Amino acid sequence: MTLKGGTSQACASCKYQRRKCSSECPLAPYFPPEQPKMFQNAHRLFGVRKILRILENLESPQKEEAMRSIIYQANIRDRFPVHGCLGIICQLHFQIRQMEEELRAVYAHLEMYRQQHHHQIEALTEDVPSQLELGMALPQPCLAQQYSYSMGSNIGYSSSFLDSNENVGNSFWGQHPYATNNNTNSKPVIQSQLVASQPLSTQQEVVQDYDEMHSFFDIIDDRQSYIETKEPYDSSSEESLKDTTQSMEHVAENELKSAAACFSLTSVN
Amino acid sequence: MASSSYSNSPCAACKFLRRKCMPDCIFAPYFPPEEPQKFANVHKIFGASNVSKLLNEVLPHQREDAVNSLAYEAEARMKDPVYGCVGAISVLQRQVIRLQKELDATNADLIRYACNEMPAANPQFARRMGHGRGFL
Repeated sequence: MTLKGGTSQACASCKYQRRKCSSECPLAPYFPPEQPKMFQNAHRLFGVRKILRILENLESPQKEEAMRSIIYQANIRDRFPVHGCLGIICQLHFQIRQMEEELRAVYAHLEMYRQQHHHQIEALTEDVPSQLELGMALPQPCLAQQYSYSMGSNIGYSSSFLDSNENVGNSFWGQHPYATNNNTNSKPVIQSQLVASQPLSTQQEVVQDYDEMHSFFDIIDDRQSYIETKEPYDSSSEESLKDTTQSMEHVAENELKSAAACFSLTSVN
Repeated sequence: MASSSYSNSPCAACKFLRRKCMPDCIFAPYFPPEEPQKFANVHKIFGASNVSKLLNEVLPHQREDAVNSLAYEAEARMKDPVYGCVGAISVLQRQVIRLQKELDATNADLIRYACNEMPAANPQFARRMGHGRGFL
């Protein structure tokens, strides 16, 4: 967003309104003349007066952020005239639910492995005396260490997944798409690597401060440029957005309403 | 008072705009008189004229969804004039990123477990180890 100089041409806002763009035009910094579509979208949804009314009570750094969100919202509405940003929110909700389900299934699977390893260690340690007698000892300390290391660092995994998903493991093998995708695709690679024991992550995630919006528009900008050019999404995240937004149009009404209810801010009524 | 689509009283939009609510009022089906704040919010943020144009540009069966989404966005913008509903999108996107990272890490752990389990799962392999013949 460039500031309008004395000799530069009229901003997109003044061009659209066919008026002279003064050096003090409040919208000039946000609507450069080479992006007329951006202003048209904002004008269609909000209108110049409403935009100025939003800006008038804000301080300077907030004005930039507000204008970016207004432009983003208007572009989304241009892209999705029926659902707008609410459609994006619903799609993200759906995506999050899917990922959480997938995560639960994976944790249940891991818990299964943990139990299997536990049984195997017990079985192996029982065999040691007989093998020693035969003079055919296994390198047991290394193996035991490897397994105990795996188990020890697995303490962080919650057992609640197993308690609540006792049947997940059984159904997981046959039915879960994740199992199909990952096991068949990754096994050949694993066989050739024989990965040494590594610290298992304890899944300690620092909860982000959602009040920090500084990097917010780093995420939004890609989408914004997509919206302006209306080209196919490049990134995988945007591809999933595209796929799900195609199904978004078929989101049931109660889906929208329930999502809106989840997010509905305190009603003024 | 002219009748709205639902009742004899004017719709919330016509009440707010202090005009006669005609039978073909485009706002009447979606802004019932019992919800005056809904239209007030939408009018404050977007303006009646813009909303009317938007509704005319979508199919009739899509208008209710369009109005609901506009009402949601208007309320969000009133609560948060800087980010509006876009703030919620940011929060959710961060959550998606966090979940994806967690999934990736957990999948990696699963692969490591699968790798560790494979020698024990293969009986022939286990026998070879037990007899000390090493790996063939």
